[in-house]
Amino acid sequence: MKAIEVEHLSKIFKVQKSRGGLKGALQDLFSRQYNEVAAVNDISFSIPAGEICGYIGENGAGKSTTIKMLTGILVPTAGKLNVGGYVPHEEREKFVKNIGVVFGQRSQLWWDIGVIESFGLLRKVYGVSEQDYKKRLDELVQRLDLGDLLSRPVRKLSLGQRMRCELVAALLHNPSIVFLDEPTIGLDIIVKTEIREFLKDMNRQHGTTILLTTHDLQDIEALCSRVIMLDEGRIIYDGGLDTLKTRWGQGTRVTLQFGTACPLGRLQSLTSDLHVSWTADNDLHAEVLVPAELNVSDVLAKIVGQPDIAITDIKITETTTDEIVRQIYQTGSATKETQGGTVSHA
Amino acid sequence: MYYIGLVFEYLKNYMKTRLTYRADFWVEVVSDLLMQASNLIFIFVVFGHTNSLGGWSEAEVVFVYGFFMVPFGLFSCFVNLWNFSDRYIVKGEMDRILTRPAYNLFQIFLENIDPPGLIGSLIGIIIMIISGGQLGLELVWWHLPVMILFAISATLIYTGIYIALTSLSFYSDSPTGIIPLMYNIQNYGRYPVTIYNRAIQFLLTWILPFAFVGIYPASLFLGREEMTHMAWLTPVMAAIFLTIGLTSWNVGVKKYRGAGS
Repeated sequence: MKAIEVEHLSKIFKVQKSRGGLKGALQDLFSRQYNEVAAVNDISFSIPAGEICGYIGENGAGKSTTIKMLTGILVPTAGKLNVGGYVPHEEREKFVKNIGVVFGQRSQLWWDIGVIESFGLLRKVYGVSEQDYKKRLDELVQRLDLGDLLSRPVRKLSLGQRMRCELVAALLHNPSIVFLDEPTIGLDIIVKTEIREFLKDMNRQHGTTILLTTHDLQDIEALCSRVIMLDEGRIIYDGGLDTLKTRWGQGTRVTLQFGTACPLGRLQSLTSDLHVSWTADNDLHAEVLVPAELNVSDVLAKIVGQPDIAITDIKITETTTDEIVRQIYQTGSATKETQGGTVSHA
Repeated sequence: MYYIGLVFEYLKNYMKTRLTYRADFWVEVVSDLLMQASNLIFIFVVFGHTNSLGGWSEAEVVFVYGFFMVPFGLFSCFVNLWNFSDRYIVKGEMDRILTRPAYNLFQIFLENIDPPGLIGSLIGIIIMIISGGQLGLELVWWHLPVMILFAISATLIYTGIYIALTSLSFYSDSPTGIIPLMYNIQNYGRYPVTIYNRAIQFLLTWILPFAFVGIYPASLFLGREEMTHMAWLTPVMAAIFLTIGLTSWNVGVKKYRGAGS
């Protein structure tokens, strides 16, 4: 069963062009010029129930706009949309009983009253029965360790405490689909880990479908089996995180430090039967890039133990997801010359 | 039922917050009352110089003012759209409202509920009783239900006009200065419309029907025959203007663009 289905979805904003200077401002007063900006441009994807999907992209790539259309806040300019069996913006009030939404940058809770009062009010708004509410609240409070925070007013909570409360507020009605817009923004590493663990558990226990946007790729690595990457309103990658890594990872980089001078030519001739590329700043330092299909040990075996080469230090570094993603953002495309496959291009 | 339940829940929460800021509560009550008192004093000053205003006596105008205070109190308690553009559009709080399973406008009303406004309604009733007594008005059995109907209708006319005007914030990027202007125009509806020129009469009757919040419905109880037919139009105008308001609101929500990220 599909939890979220999106077909050719677009959202175009009209943005007023401002002309410069006083004269321009006066002109703007009488005749306005608009630019059409496609925040989301013809995207399609579907997410099966029970999946955790990461939604990433640079600032302004259209992540939040997509989430806002999926949650029924914005009305799409074009395209079809089905979330949990509803068209979000058309049957908004019925639809939202089924979903939970957390905006990392904005609060769901009432600022002045105790956390527990906020929860009680949300219970009424969502029409959750007293019994279900008690059960669910106990479960969540225990799991997120909120016990002594409940009576405090929200304005006196730290960001980490508040975010945990926000999660509870969004999940009290036990939604089957949860949208998280930058849920870990500004949090310390301990709270981040806690929230990741919690989301993973929830997904396992209740089969909750989760779509989250984030700039912290560790969120994605810890949680998501799948990632959708967005650039300028278009999907540039949709698939597994592993595939992204193997396809765009540049392999492994091995840095060698020598005790005595070792010319680059010598190293190249030793590994001439392998497709590796060497670089060196000076004779005491060399770097080799080992492609993913080769073993690092094979390369090292050729060099280590040669009587004329005295290695003092070896450092092996894998390309991190951060680097891969940074590269894709910079080129604005996830297509790599030689490989095609499931990838669409920008 | 669900919505009535919500009203009580939000009122409960209002009380809880307000009890932590008690001074604030009383300051608001007192400033509300002072504003009403100054309006009333204005009437007394005017009648210090003349005995009748377009054929209406002082007690009659005060009675109209008393009637006006009832729907105005209800309106300021339940329909508080003053800071809508700032809070919900510019700061993007509308996002939160739209992800909750209750009608969005209703949620906004509830979040801004302001019970001190009701004190004005109470005082309005007292003013009507006193000036009605001075005029020797007779209370007929049907006066009470009709007065309730008219007061509610007048509140809805207000609500409709303000919803329609507030929904403009969905289209415009910046807050508009139109609401303070309205607050000035609405005051004209408390005086006998016959004292104004034709254009203003037309404006107050059909375009921004503030006359239906004060003078027209109140005239029925004063036995002012020349306006009786207008008085009975109050519920009709309420239906029309509420529909206009809600329609433009619902269209506006579709245009909502969100704020920031």
